[in-house]
Amino acid sequence: MIVYILLALMFFVGLYGIIAKKNIIKIIVGINIVGYASNLLFILLGYKWDGIAPILTENMSITCFVEKAVDPLPQALVLTSIVIDLAFVAFLAALAIRLFEKYGTFDIDKIRRLKG
Amino acid sequence: MNHLIILPVAIYLGAAFLISLLWRKDDKLAGAAAVSFVFLSAVISIISGIDVFTNGKMLYFAGGWEKPLGIVLMLDPLSSIFLIMTNVIAFFIMLYSTVYMKKYTWAPYFYTLFMIMLAGMNGILISMDIFNIYVFFEIASIASFILVAFGLKAEELEASMKYTVMSFIASTMILFAIALIYGFTGTLNIPAFMSEAAGLSPVHLWFLAGLLLSGFALKTALVPFHSWLPDAHSMAPAPVSAILSGMFVKVVGLYVIIRITTNIFITLPQIRVLLLLFGVLSMLFGGLMAYGQQNIKRLYAYSTISQVGYCAIGLGIGGYLGCLGVLMHFIAHAFSKSLLFLNIGAIEYMTGTTEANQLKGLNDRMPVTTLLGSTGMLGIAGVPPMGNFWSKLIIILAAIKAGYPGIAVLCIIVAVITLGYFLKLQRTVYYNRVENPVKKEAPKMLLFPMGVLTLLVFISGILLVPGIKEKTLDRAVSVMENFSYMDIKIGEKR
Amino acid sequence: MKNKGMSEIVQGIARTVFPFIVLYGISLVLYGHITPGGGFAGGVILTGGFVLLLLAFGKEYTFMIFPVKIAKVLDSTGAFGFLAVALLGFAGGFFFYNLLPKGHIFHLWSAGTIIVSNIMIGLKVASALFIAIATLSMSRLLYTKEGIKYKKSMEEEEE
Repeated sequence: MIVYILLALMFFVGLYGIIAKKNIIKIIVGINIVGYASNLLFILLGYKWDGIAPILTENMSITCFVEKAVDPLPQALVLTSIVIDLAFVAFLAALAIRLFEKYGTFDIDKIRRLKG
Repeated sequence: MNHLIILPVAIYLGAAFLISLLWRKDDKLAGAAAVSFVFLSAVISIISGIDVFTNGKMLYFAGGWEKPLGIVLMLDPLSSIFLIMTNVIAFFIMLYSTVYMKKYTWAPYFYTLFMIMLAGMNGILISMDIFNIYVFFEIASIASFILVAFGLKAEELEASMKYTVMSFIASTMILFAIALIYGFTGTLNIPAFMSEAAGLSPVHLWFLAGLLLSGFALKTALVPFHSWLPDAHSMAPAPVSAILSGMFVKVVGLYVIIRITTNIFITLPQIRVLLLLFGVLSMLFGGLMAYGQQNIKRLYAYSTISQVGYCAIGLGIGGYLGCLGVLMHFIAHAFSKSLLFLNIGAIEYMTGTTEANQLKGLNDRMPVTTLLGSTGMLGIAGVPPMGNFWSKLIIILAAIKAGYPGIAVLCIIVAVITLGYFLKLQRTVYYNRVENPVKKEAPKMLLFPMGVLTLLVFISGILLVPGIKEKTLDRAVSVMENFSYMDIKIGEKR
Repeated sequence: MKNKGMSEIVQGIARTVFPFIVLYGISLVLYGHITPGGGFAGGVILTGGFVLLLLAFGKEYTFMIFPVKIAKVLDSTGAFGFLAVALLGFAGGFFFYNLLPKGHIFHLWSAGTIIVSNIMIGLKVASALFIAIATLSMSRLLYTKEGIKYKKSMEEEEE
């Protein structure tokens, strides 16, 4: 139970970073933390008490594997989600460098030429 | 014949990496290859569409694994309409962009990214798992962020940064909702979830509905979640704006909301009230903000917010007339908004600016472009023989029949407002007089797609003729109303 | 090449450790169907090895060993190869069907098309991340005593 409370805390720390900070690099770090929080929730849903990792080794029978192993489906989905977050952060980092070349600052209050 | 479902996605992904491998330095060959691949996919989608409309839905099991284990792909009349529209409009936009992209460097990478975005959009339309929808949704979104920032000027980068950060929050909420769906029911298949959803308590369903709706409403640009759209669609290059405003906002946002409200949240009637509220706010906000804009592309972007509000109202009313109005409005608006964005792109290609106070007397300088543009503007405003008039009429009738007369009056007022700002734009930009006009028409390859789209705007009302309506639109509307057919038994082939 | 990059100790360790990182990455990619790992994790570790070289030796040396042009070709080849493997499944009846022979379980060549897919994905992820980091390192900002300046041409880098 306490794991889920800590997870919510991590999500709100990341969300604070996205909403309340003014430097673009700090927004990108906040995006990273929110990504970690949502992936972690997904894995925690498949957990069983005293379970083993879902890897089939040499002398294990199938019924013993099915009873004791942790659910492997969320782990496959989280792998995809990690790749998607990586693509976001890579693109945002390149965009931040180009924005610095054009505007001369990382402050989002000053990057505001589009109005109305 | 079932293999035709998966072919458009495979063709687009193959085309993207083939262009980036072989024709990285050569503009003309890359353009020709891109146009031919999109044409192939458009033909395949029309063939599979004809098959679906005559024989019913098509199923496909990827890798040969059957229903509880594998990924099931499905094409039914509702997705088939969206699929045909996406590929056909993309074909005309590709023809246009072979000439337009001469103003930009790195044109072959534009074709690669455009193919990846089209692959993502087609993938959303054929999948039946909610996680499959999420993966293709992300592929299309990330490609669209890069395309919005393609020109690398200062304003474009700023617009893309805003769009990316806001869209990331939407993706996180959708991922949370998918995690909760898996935790509550143990399955990710949409029809299987629907049969388990009867056992969930209303608190769970409301939480899921809130997360999913706020995530997808941000991509549809309904009003509390709209603030990325005017910047992103006005600063993108013209063919990118055309496909974003014409198809992406509807395929990624509106189609998934239709699937969710009619298939997952059928037990919560209050969702429709929420959609009605968002729709009315979008209509009014988009219409009123469009009056003060000097940049013409920004005016068109606010007009998109307004018209998508009409679709949301139609979805919120429900019933036969409401759903018919949504589909018809989607078809008519896709054609006419793409036409308008291509038009302003042609004007920018010839004169170099999109500000309304610097363009004068275009009727003398570019008569054919003016004619096509005026027809598109009258099309969106809803002048009788074109498709938008019939769709707005159907939505107003649906509102009156369902007992919301206030909403019908608001629809009529916003239609008059729409006509107002488009007529003002025509008067100041197109039909002014200027001394010594230099007559320089846009190139023919830019005019041909606009001409075909104008023709389609005119004849899109033909879908409502009683003989044709039964075969095409009625089947899609019945998909939106009867959800019980969606449960697929093990061993079912068709 | 002595004044670009980091000190002697860091360069010596990087030169020694680099082959082992590449070996570890390749082993993760190839044994992806038996142990945890697979294409994506192995590709990221391979990129990590090249980033170590980039940080320790500077970008001219790294681009001499592994030019960005070759990375672009490998990138598209990896993606296209993955799609070709998926389309070969049509010969077995369905898209993505597993049609190579499946041998004994727990051996290296045992799971049909999975190992070929893993190799293609490993190539693609390694090249794509390397191109992304190389593009980030080619930015045109210059750190001088007056603050951060925008470099106008290639000659200013000599100062």
